[in-house]
This record gives sequence, structure tokens and C-alpha cells, in this order.
Amino acid sequence: MNVTYNWLKEFVDFSETPDELAALLTMLGLEVDSMVKLGEGLDDVVVARVEEKRQHPNADKLSLCKVNNGKEIVDVVCGAQNFTQGATVALAQIGSVLPGDFKIKRSKIRGEESCGMLCSDKELGLADESAGIMVLDADIAPLGTPIFTALGLKDTLLEIGLTPNRSDCLSVIGIARDLAAKLGVQLKPLATTLPEAGEPVGSFIKVTIDNPELCPRYAARYISGCTIAPSPEWLVKRLTSIGIRSINNVVDVTNLIMMELGQPLHAFDCDRLAGKQVVVRTAGEGELFTTLDNQQRTLQATDLVICDAERPVALAGVMGGLNSEIELTTTAILLESAFFKPAAIRKTAKRLGLHTESSHRFERGIDIDSVGRALDRAAALIVELAGGTVAQGALDVYPGNSERTPITFRPERANGLIGITLERSEILDILIRLQCRIAENSDGSVSVIPPHYRLDIEREIDLIEEVARLNGYDKIPATMPIARVVSDRPSRHQEIEKLVRELLVQNSMTEIINFSFTSADAAGKLLLSDDDPRRVAIKLANPLVDEHSVMRTTLLPGLLETTAKNMSFRSLDLKLFEMRRVYFPGEGDNMPHEPLCVVGAISGSRDGDGWSRPQEAVDFYDAKGIVESLLESLEIGGVSWNSEQVESYYHPGKSCSIFAGRDYIGSVGELHPTVQKNFGIEKTVFCFELNFEKLVKLSRTKKTITAPSRFPDSSRDIAMLVPDEVPASKIIDCVKAEKAKEIEQVQIFDVYCGAGVPAGQRSIAIRIRYRSFERTLAEEEIVALHKRVVTNLVNKLPVTVR
Amino acid sequence: MREQLEQLRNGAVQAIAAATTVEQLQEIRITLLGRKGELTALMKGLGSLSAEERPVIGQLVNSVRDEIESALGTALAAAQENLIAERLSSERIDISLPGRRPLRGTKHPISLVIEEVSAIFAGLGFSVAEGPEIEHDWYNFEALNFPPEHPARDMQDTFFVENSMLLRTHTSPVQIRTMLKQKPPVRIIAPGTVYRCDSDATHSPMFHQIEGLMVDTGVTFGDLKGILTVFTNQLFGQKTGVRLRPSYFPFTEPSAEVDIACVICGGKGCRVCKNSGWLEILGAGMVDPEVYRHVQYDAEQISGFAFGMGIERIAMLKYGISDMRLLFENDVRFLRQF
Ligand SMILES: [Zn+2]
Repeated sequence: MNVTYNWLKEFVDFSETPDELAALLTMLGLEVDSMVKLGEGLDDVVVARVEEKRQHPNADKLSLCKVNNGKEIVDVVCGAQNFTQGATVALAQIGSVLPGDFKIKRSKIRGEESCGMLCSDKELGLADESAGIMVLDADIAPLGTPIFTALGLKDTLLEIGLTPNRSDCLSVIGIARDLAAKLGVQLKPLATTLPEAGEPVGSFIKVTIDNPELCPRYAARYISGCTIAPSPEWLVKRLTSIGIRSINNVVDVTNLIMMELGQPLHAFDCDRLAGKQVVVRTAGEGELFTTLDNQQRTLQATDLVICDAERPVALAGVMGGLNSEIELTTTAILLESAFFKPAAIRKTAKRLGLHTESSHRFERGIDIDSVGRALDRAAALIVELAGGTVAQGALDVYPGNSERTPITFRPERANGLIGITLERSEILDILIRLQCRIAENSDGSVSVIPPHYRLDIEREIDLIEEVARLNGYDKIPATMPIARVVSDRPSRHQEIEKLVRELLVQNSMTEIINFSFTSADAAGKLLLSDDDPRRVAIKLANPLVDEHSVMRTTLLPGLLETTAKNMSFRSLDLKLFEMRRVYFPGEGDNMPHEPLCVVGAISGSRDGDGWSRPQEAVDFYDAKGIVESLLESLEIGGVSWNSEQVESYYHPGKSCSIFAGRDYIGSVGELHPTVQKNFGIEKTVFCFELNFEKLVKLSRTKKTITAPSRFPDSSRDIAMLVPDEVPASKIIDCVKAEKAKEIEQVQIFDVYCGAGVPAGQRSIAIRIRYRSFERTLAEEEIVALHKRVVTNLVNKLPVTVR
Repeated sequence: MREQLEQLRNGAVQAIAAATTVEQLQEIRITLLGRKGELTALMKGLGSLSAEERPVIGQLVNSVRDEIESALGTALAAAQENLIAERLSSERIDISLPGRRPLRGTKHPISLVIEEVSAIFAGLGFSVAEGPEIEHDWYNFEALNFPPEHPARDMQDTFFVENSMLLRTHTSPVQIRTMLKQKPPVRIIAPGTVYRCDSDATHSPMFHQIEGLMVDTGVTFGDLKGILTVFTNQLFGQKTGVRLRPSYFPFTEPSAEVDIACVICGGKGCRVCKNSGWLEILGAGMVDPEVYRHVQYDAEQISGFAFGMGIERIAMLKYGISDMRLLFENDVRFLRQF
């Protein structure tokens, strides 16, 4: 809602400066989003007189002027032709800055000095186009008066961001009312004198309301003998000041009164209304109607329309029709002022995407009580500006009862809930200032009837809010609540989420956050099979863009897109992770599943840039290592790595699925080259993916800690030739299967293939550390045990000890 | 024999004095005192001496040996010290070369802010609650007193999905889910992801909020002011000014926008605060009785407040980020700074 400082002053007296007023309104809940001080910084543009005008010696189209600014005579070169010697003009003096950051400097134009500029309306930001400079009335103001002051344009525009509940403030009077209540002063009275003449209105036109529940009040006046013409300057200026374009005197009056009183009005060309009657009814399904903006609209049975005897002439409360629009030839006017049901108007405006100043107000609710006042005020102004005669009386169809139900209000509850200690009388005074009617009840409570325009006040709590608001939120003391102690530690889920994030960060990984929506073809880019459940995604009904049209079922596409994007910025050493939800449709009426998932991607060199060691690229085992350390920290046991069934998006020879016992918990591997290409990734990437919900389920809180042995150890190495198809893990498992408690640790310390090793085989070396918890092991014991281990290996696996 | 010992001692003293390295000194020790050394050889001659001479010469041998041992010890210590001094003066590295270290991992700034805000509220006795992002209209709107077709719904452009569900437009449905599950006292915060069908320089279709809810007996609007003052002071600094001004949310009444004194200009007015000196950081209010009705709480018996804030906004203010889009571009050159 736009309102100006001077306009408000016409309704209420106050002494606050524009800045103070803005602060006051903001603290009342009428937030001033911005302020535009009209003419600000233009005080150096002043009223001046051209004392002498002669031809520029070196330029045909320029003239040399001696201009009197009230203090001195200055030389100005001017290119405009529309003025004569003696004209009163607007002089932009040296140092002034015109709109568009145009600085006026002393200059030489074709050899002649110019100390300023004579301005046009356009140059002062007062018009879009100007034919020449601004020529003023000789007696407009003393020479040297700032031009905006002289024109009466010095004002401040306040742009107020209203909350949806405050429909009462969609007008100048509404804001003035709240201001008056806050300041404890009275609104200035609105004087309207409406001269009526001739026949009663009923002899010109009839009004019928077919749907009183959608239109509880419809009022109209008939004005004949009008002359449609441009509006006078003051009206144009006033509308322009709040950003409304002038159209003609009649339409401008309806707009002015709407802004002033908040009542949307509509003027029909009465001669174009068939049968001289108005019917308020709902539209026929599929009925066609052309609105003022020359758009044909298809109506529905829920749309409320204003009709003449034959056809719709306006879309009620939204926009008038082309067929009854005020034209230059119009002389008879039907002026409409009505109340339409907010929900109905909202529905129509929303469906047609037609949001007008009028529909905005009706949707939020207007003051049903001031329908008549606005009508009279507008009619009076129309005859003042366009001439004509207002017929006797108004048509005012008001079938319903608008008396509001009283609200029971307990002043002490207001104090208690807000946390203040106002006197009862102070509280009641606030409500009275807000124009509420009050009656004391015998039980100490009060019956309160709020004014009609405060549609947002319906309950006791609404009145309590008014008390807090008018008294001032700044007057409420900040206190600490007295609370009962509750014991609540974070859930296991929350603790593990935090722990996993912490562990991944410790593993040098950078957390990323992608949008939860992805493109419908993401599953295809991952080569997922047609029956993969991740292909069934929840679709957005109204996506903003196609790339964000479904809820993701896997975090991988986002991760891979991020990887590609970072590589394109030459960030090649990447360690990224994301821990967020994925979304699966629920079965039947069940809620969708939103499990948390964890994914990671690594690429580039292992340690980033370094000078001391050769750069080593990360590989599968770096990714696996991160997963291993994570699982170990979460105390997840029974982990197995299965390379037989792997996800489609991995290199089949360099990836595996991860199980804990029988539970599938995730996967790790090198990205499939096709997937890599699908996402436009330049370099090899290794990824892992973990089902967070499974991690929570399987993680154990209890750690088993053993005291270390105090006896010496003894290590033995075994090197063996192992066929490629035998996984290294089998060797470790085989040694561990010995179940000798003297075997403290089994470790692979070398894997080699190449010269000296037959094709199809690898040389694998393991180190076994023997140690007892009870005593120092004798050499013979170790030899015997080690021999048993070696024999077992050779017997159980197709390996050859070297 | 005496002369021989005398000679040996003088020779030894000279040799020790002349020696410069630890190795030379050790050689001297072996030559003189070793198993096959000169003094050892002389001592073998003691047997041929008379019974009177034997103790006298024996004593002399011991004293010569002690003298040599002590001289050797001193010289050896000095030589070792020299050796260390020499090492220390000759060995030099270029300490300006960068240290060898693993890449530093970082949490996303959104996670950092959620953790920090959660920690502050944990200290005030608030526990963390969560809820689904794909919600029913009833939890997201209706139970929060947004009736169907209500203009307040326009404040939140909604993404819809199938089965007449929607992507929650705020974290407030967690309030409803929590109150339906438990009876007062309730003290929770609910961080989470929310969605609005809106995208430009200042709006992202996905963003994050933290919701707060406290319901107990006798909780006042002043208490809300107190809690939020403590919170903003802990998050932005002890002297951060806090201002509540009237606003409107369907699920709170009275409602407030909460501003803090601009952390960029200190309240003097700048571009970030649009010259007002204040920054809007959260919305709050007393829980509306209509909400209690939906969760079967008795508004006459209890009272409480709720608040909600945008995490992106706080992250941007805390870290001086001017463009919200940076938070979701996932450029590691940006993320690794946190
Ligand atoms: Zn600032």
C-alpha cells in the first residue's frame, strides 16, 4: 500500500517527521518497506525568470539567456524554443544533481559560458516525455524557491508492506485510523456534500441480487450529463504520487476514492446497459466475457458477474467489461459500490490470473459499512470534475444483517499472556481508541464489538494482540520463562548423523548440499535397470524447471553434477560428501519414505598439491578406506564386501556391495565410464554410498575394550603366489580361522605382480604377529604355530608358499 | 716399572689432548685400557714384583688408570658436545616450505549454523525434533490455522506432489506433529529443509529453517522476547540490539517480526539493512488458540510461543555472504573456506 506523508496529514494531525512517521508505522505492524522523498536533493533546482534571451552567436538552435534566480543573474545556454523573454522557468543551478545522476556543472557551449540548465518536466522526473522546458505561472512562487516546493510536490511516499490480515489498511484512511489510535487523537472529519437533483434513481435503473451470500451489499448512483475529460492537475499529481496512471476524470475519481477509503468502485456507461437494469448473479458455465484489458475470458458457474438485462458487464470486484466501459462520449454513469464475498473474488481472480487493486481489496475484505460513504464521496467528486447531475437517492441493496457478534474479553488475561501490567482502564482505552464498542459484564469481563473494517478481530486473542500492538512491543519486558526440567538427550539418529558428518570431515571430505529435486532422466543417466525402485520418483505437480521436476531417489546425480562442475572450474582434487534425505512414494495412503543417505566422491591426487612426494592419484582403496573407518567408528561388525552383485553405475571389476551380516548397507567403486560420460565428468571418480538408516540400526553403542598384552611379540612373514581369482581377504580369513589366541594381528604388507610372478597370479606377502596375554612365547611354540598356519593355508587355498 | 707407568701416563695425556674425535678417543681407550691394552699388559707384570713393592705399584697402576679414565671421560664428553654443536651448525632446512598435511574437510555452512543454533537452544533446554518434508496439507496449513483459500496461503508459494501432498513450505508442521505426540511441557527446536515455488537472487526453491516451540503453563510474550534476546546475543554477540515489531502469521497471535541491530553497520544504516539499521532475522509469536484446538491442548490452561528463522539468512549474515545462490552451488573453492 502506497501512501504519502501529506495525504495522511489530510486525515490526521501529527507532528512527526517523515522518518519518525515511518518508524512509528513500522512499530505498529504497518511496515514501511521503503520511503521515497519526492524532490529530495533537488532543492538547487529553483524558480527563476528569463530576464534576457538572445541568439547564440555560434549556433542557430541555441539561445543565450540571462536568468534571475532571486539572488543574482546567471548566464545559461538553452536549446529549447518554447519560451520567451520574461518566462518563469525551472533553473537547475551549478551543483544540482538531476534524476539519473545527471550533475549540473559550469560549462562552455560553443564558446559561451553556461552556469546551469533550464529544465523540462522529463529532466525533473515529472513526466515520461516533454516537448520543451517547463514554463511556470509568473506568480507561482518567489524567485529562488525550490521547484518541488513551488509545485507543491514536496512530499514523502511511504511504501507499506501490509500483512494479509490488515485489509483495513489498504487505504489512506485505514492507515490514518491506526495512526490516530496510536497517537490518541481523533481523525479529521470527512465532509461530503452531495447535491442531488431530478428524478429518483429508481426511475433510471433497477438492481437485483440473485446471490446475496456472494454479494451482501450492492449500492449504486446514477449521474447524468457528465463530460469525460482529462483530470485536473491536482488529481493527476495525487494519483501519480502513489504510482497510479491518470485515465480520465471519472475513472480517476473511482481510483482516488478507492485509495482514500479502500472501497473499490466501478463506473459503467449507463447508456450501454441493456434494459436499464443491473443483476448480480453467478456466471453460466463457459460463458464468454471480454474484460477491460481486451482479453476474452471463459467464466465458470462460481464466478460472480454484474449483468445488465442481457449479458455480463463486469466481473464482480475484479474488472469491468469492455462492453460498458467509460468512453469519451459517455454522459450517463452508473457508479457501483459493493461488498463481495472475499473467497468468491479470490477464487475468480486466482483462476484467471487477474489481480487488480480492486480484487486485492475484495479478496481481503472491505468495510461493508462504508460502501455508501465511498459511493457518495465519489459521486460528489465526479459532478465537481465532470459536471452532470446526481439522481435523487442511492440504490442500496443490503439484504443481510451485518451486526457483529460481541467478543468476551478479559483484561487481566491480556496482561497475563503478554507479560505486562497495564491498568484495566489503560487496556480498555486502547480498545476504545481502536473504535471498539465496549460493555462491562458482571463477571469482570468486557463485551467488545470491533468496528466493521477490522475483519481480523474476531476472538479474544485478537483483542489481546491489539493491546500489545498499540501499547507497543517495545514496552514489553524481556523475561526468562519459568520452565519445568525435562530430560531429553538427542536421539540415536541425531547423534549418529552428527558423528558421521564429523568423521567424513576428518577424512578430508567437503560437505555439499544439493537441491532435493532432480531431473526425471537422472535414473537413466545412472544406467539403472527398468525395474529399479529408484526409477519411481515422486513428481512435482508444479516444478519451476524441468531439471527439478522429481524428488530424488538417490543422492548420486547431485553429487556427480557437483563433481563435474567443480572439475570444470579446475578443482581436480575432490573429496565430496552429501548426507541428505532421498524420497520414495509411500504405498497406498502411507506417507512417503524419506530415508537419510550418505554418498561420497573422490578424485584427483590423494594429498592435494605437495612438493615432497610424487603425486599419487586416489583409487578404489581410498574410497573403501573411508567407508571402513566409518563402519569401524560406528562399531558395525560382520562387514563383508561382495563384488558379485554391484550397482549399474560402477565399473564392474572395481566395485562392490557392502553387507553387515545379511543387511545391504551400501556400495563403493569406481564410476562406470559411461556414467562418467553421462554426467560430463573429466576424470576418474570413486564413489561410495551408504544407507544411513541401516547404519543407525546396526551401529553399536557399546565398545569392547581389552587391555594390551605386556609380553614381547614375534612376527613371521609368509610370501605366497596366489591365483587372481582368490581374493586376498580369503588368506586373512584363513589365518584367522585358526582361532589361535596367540595370533595378535594378520596384515597384508605387499601385493605384487609382474616380473618373476607367473601370469594369472599375484605375489602376496602377509605378516603375522604372535603374542600371548599370559607369558613370553617360547621359540618352539611360535615355530609350531606358524607351521600350522602355513600348512593350513596351503591345504585350504590354491596358493604356493615362495 | 714405575718409570714405565710414568711414561704410559704422560703418553696417554698427550694422546688424549691431541685426539679430536670420539672415534680417536675410543681407540685410545682400547690401546691403553683394553683387554690387550698397554696398562693391562703392565698389570700382568705385577706378579713378578716383591711382596713389599706389589701394593705400592698396584696403587700406582690404579691411580694411573683412574687418571686416564677421567681424562678420557672429559675429552669424550667434550668431543660429543663438539659433534652435536657441529651438527646443529651445519644442518639447515627451509622452514618456509609448506607442511605436509591432509586436505582439510569442511562442513557445509548450513550444517554449521544448524549445529550452532541447536547448541544454543540445547543450553536453554530445547531438544531437536524432526518431521517429514513431504507433508499433508493439514499439517502444513490447516492445523496451523491457514484455512483453505485463505489469502495467507499466498505468502507461501507451494510445490505440490501427487496424492494431494505438498513439499512443506516451513518447518512449522513439526510443531503440530510434536504437540500431537506429547503433552506439555514442550520445548523443541526443529531444523529442516523447506520448499517454496520461487526462485530469484534472494529466493531459493529449497532452503532451511529452524522452528522453535515452547508450551507450558504461564509462558508469556515477554518470555518469548527474553529467550530470543538471549539467543541472538549468543549468536551475534552480547550487545546485539533486538527489536520485536507487530506482524502476522496465521498460527501465532500476537505475532512479531524480530529484528537485530544490523551486524554490518552496527545500526547506523547501510546497504544490507536498507538504511534502517535493523535486520529481520526471524518471525515469532504466541501460539494461536486455533492451533491448540487442532492438537487438543486447552488454551485456557497452557500458553506458549513459537518462532522460526531462515538458516540461509543467518549464514549470510554470519559469514558476510551477499548472494544466497553461493550456498547451493557447491563450489569447493567456496566451501573449503568454512
Ligand atoms: Zn546496516
